[in-house]
Amino acid sequence: MSSTAPAKPKPTDFKSDLKPIWCPGCGDFGVLASLYRAFAQLELDPVRTVIVSGIGCSSRLPGFVSTYGFHTLHGRPLPVAMGVKLANPDLNVIAVGGDGDGFAIGAGHFPHAARRNVDITYLVMDNEIYGLTKGQVSPTSLTDQKAPSTPWGNLETPLNTLAFAVASGASFVARGASFNTKALTELLVQAIEHRGFSYIDALSPCVVFNNHQEEWKTLVTDVAPDHDVADKVKAFDLALRGGFSLGILYREERPTLNEKYRALVEAAKESDIDRMLEAFSARKGAAIGKPAAA
Amino acid sequence: MTDRPSHGRTSAPVRASRRRMGAGEPVGENEREESLARKSVVIRLAGESGEGVISSGDILTQAAARGGYWTQTFRTYPAEIKGGPCMYQVRMGDEQIYSHGKWVDLLVCFNQEAWDLHWESLGPEGVILYDETAVEIPESYLSRARPVRMEQLAKEIGGSLRAKNMVAVGAVAGVISFNTTPIEELVLRRFAHKQGVADANIAALHAGEDEGADLKGSLAIVEPVEVEEDRVLMSGNQAIALGAVAAGLDYFAGYPITPASDILEWLSAKLPSTGGITIQCEDEIASLASVLGASYAGAKAMTATSGPGLSLMTEVLGFAGAAEVPCVIIDAQRGGPSTGLPTKTEQSDLQHALYGGHGEAPRVVIAPVSVEDCFWATIDAFNYAERFQVPVILLTDQGLATRMEVIHKPDTSKVELWERKTSAGWDGDYKRYAYTEDSVSPMGIPGEEGGQHVATGIEHDEWGHPGYTPEIHLGMQTKRWAKLEPLSNGVARHEVYGEERPDIALIGFGSTYGPVREAVDKARAAGLSVGAFYPRVLGPFPAQQVKAFVSGATRVIIPEVNFTGQLARLVRGECGIAVESHAKSDGLPFTAEDIHDVILQEATS
Repeated sequence: MSSTAPAKPKPTDFKSDLKPIWCPGCGDFGVLASLYRAFAQLELDPVRTVIVSGIGCSSRLPGFVSTYGFHTLHGRPLPVAMGVKLANPDLNVIAVGGDGDGFAIGAGHFPHAARRNVDITYLVMDNEIYGLTKGQVSPTSLTDQKAPSTPWGNLETPLNTLAFAVASGASFVARGASFNTKALTELLVQAIEHRGFSYIDALSPCVVFNNHQEEWKTLVTDVAPDHDVADKVKAFDLALRGGFSLGILYREERPTLNEKYRALVEAAKESDIDRMLEAFSARKGAAIGKPAAA
Repeated sequence: MTDRPSHGRTSAPVRASRRRMGAGEPVGENEREESLARKSVVIRLAGESGEGVISSGDILTQAAARGGYWTQTFRTYPAEIKGGPCMYQVRMGDEQIYSHGKWVDLLVCFNQEAWDLHWESLGPEGVILYDETAVEIPESYLSRARPVRMEQLAKEIGGSLRAKNMVAVGAVAGVISFNTTPIEELVLRRFAHKQGVADANIAALHAGEDEGADLKGSLAIVEPVEVEEDRVLMSGNQAIALGAVAAGLDYFAGYPITPASDILEWLSAKLPSTGGITIQCEDEIASLASVLGASYAGAKAMTATSGPGLSLMTEVLGFAGAAEVPCVIIDAQRGGPSTGLPTKTEQSDLQHALYGGHGEAPRVVIAPVSVEDCFWATIDAFNYAERFQVPVILLTDQGLATRMEVIHKPDTSKVELWERKTSAGWDGDYKRYAYTEDSVSPMGIPGEEGGQHVATGIEHDEWGHPGYTPEIHLGMQTKRWAKLEPLSNGVARHEVYGEERPDIALIGFGSTYGPVREAVDKARAAGLSVGAFYPRVLGPFPAQQVKAFVSGATRVIIPEVNFTGQLARLVRGECGIAVESHAKSDGLPFTAEDIHDVILQEATS
């Protein structure tokens, strides 16, 4: 994460030419501002940074940043981000998206990215609603919530994404809020610096279809300074408690998938196509059966 | 190739070759007298999965290859892990083998079901070896059937049933007069540190050889001609994995699925030794999505699947077409629809590969025709993907993917690799999707200064910024399709076998090539004007070349292994010509005899 620029970068250096398409007052502005600041604080090289997103309002974010960007498919930013990181471990890879993208259509990928401990950061802008499709309930919407697709009220129980993250083996789990950019910036800095899969749930209200901003402000509390981030049971306790705990719930150090692959490649006996073909020589007749690891 | 044999025969003159399924040459009276030895022989081993059928087949195949024979195998598998009937067919000969053969010369029955399921495939002179304790052969076949004490001898010699396969292999070797030296060498190699086991296996081999002594040499096969060139023995899946390595594969992601899992497994073991990595993903969507991520980061990336996986990948395939991200997708087709026939063959994903997905996303579809071609077609796939920044689907099928074949060792000095056009050296305002002369835009690779852009599946302008105007959409769709034009204009390979401008024209794709080739040889030898056209690239379709090929034809025949005649529909649509569809959907590959019958039927109708 070194910078090639001689002067310390400013948050505005990470702005692209495109203006965000978000509605005035959207929480995603606060998240984006926090991201610019975190990038500046970390002095990230925009040329060596990739932001991967899915589909939704928040997934438009890569367009507004001067780094490399990959605006993928609905629900698919995590496997794409994994491919980017495994192919080039020197890159800073940040996946972003909304709660519908990450926990409805993309939920099948989340636990696997987490348990693999790919060295990427996953930032979810959680507004508890589908904004881009105009207000249907999402997996994090409250029970009984009335919305165009649930005119009699939501019959389902919201997904606890933080508990899901801890249970899945994420090695960094935190929550921030778009209306507290200072703290969110600090969380992003720590998440990006973390070696392994870091997950940040950023409360980010949709002011048009699900504006809970004022209510949420009364429900947030900071994680206590003496909270033991290495204690998984305590992390579950915080995640499952009512209200919103802001801060780092869980953090552990364990080898990342890219580090393990690097070790595997280094340990493998060097070979090439000609040597591989030789092993199939008809005169040797050794081609049938499972190959042994190199 | 013969007509359907009569099974009511009681006398069986078990001797010289009246039939030759190998080179497709007519068998003249003179030739028959020249040599009693066969140019190729079809051996089928059948029994319950797990009782030595597969290992016997593997040993025979390896030994045949080692002994200098050309070989091709054909297997049927139960879809279940334990038990179920299985069959392993080995065809070996002194000339290159193009198809697995229809009529069985030597049937080895490990159990009663083997006889019940396979007796109808016996050729008119077909010989039967069977375990007397397990199989009852009808009296009318006894004259050409010999019991082999597989279980008894294995127990006597090795103290267990483990050497049963060697008894069976020995018995086969005896009947076809196959020199057992290569088999012994394989045994010694396999049990290099277990002399006792090796000795028992070799003893079992020779004991088997002595069984059915009066049939010894009755299906004698000609000694292979010593050749200098290198040959290799491999499956279609292995040839693809090796072709990918030769093309510079950096990243492979896949999800286990029959019959494509071998590629995932082989690359998992071997790719790290070239610096690349292989990962098993949570599903096929993640597999292809991560392949796109790796490709975006500059890697040569591939996935492999079968039809059900291709269905899941289709959204990502469309994205790759829209965002112009190079990738290679192997589809080892199996019987469909839905879960279908996981262990049987079919060519029913053609139209999915060509058109699958919403909107109209460009892609290239390639179909190799043989195990050897799988190697080269995979290199083509990477070259097209990288040069045209497009997803490339390579279609094989269960038969081609899993069969073992002796092939010419690919000459890697002939491998030519095409590189991606990148933003390196771009001057000024970088445009990821810039309109260019060849419609291929320079791709910024992370790490490259000034190449920053957002790759996206949303319609976009030259910078990659979302844009939905008529000009942008028409411009970008035109660009995305126009870049593939070189493939229609000489870049893509195709092959005409037989007459260049035939009276009876066959058009096929993929694994039907072998049987069609043998049938064309036979029909031409009988004086018919026949030729076969095999495009390697099916999308974009080589319509001009096909039209020229059929310009003098009175009949155009399209054999394919599916229900609705997908290639026939494609040729009609692309070329506007009338064709006869000969589609079959029984989960099995064509034989040369099937195709020859079709040619004769069309020639006389």
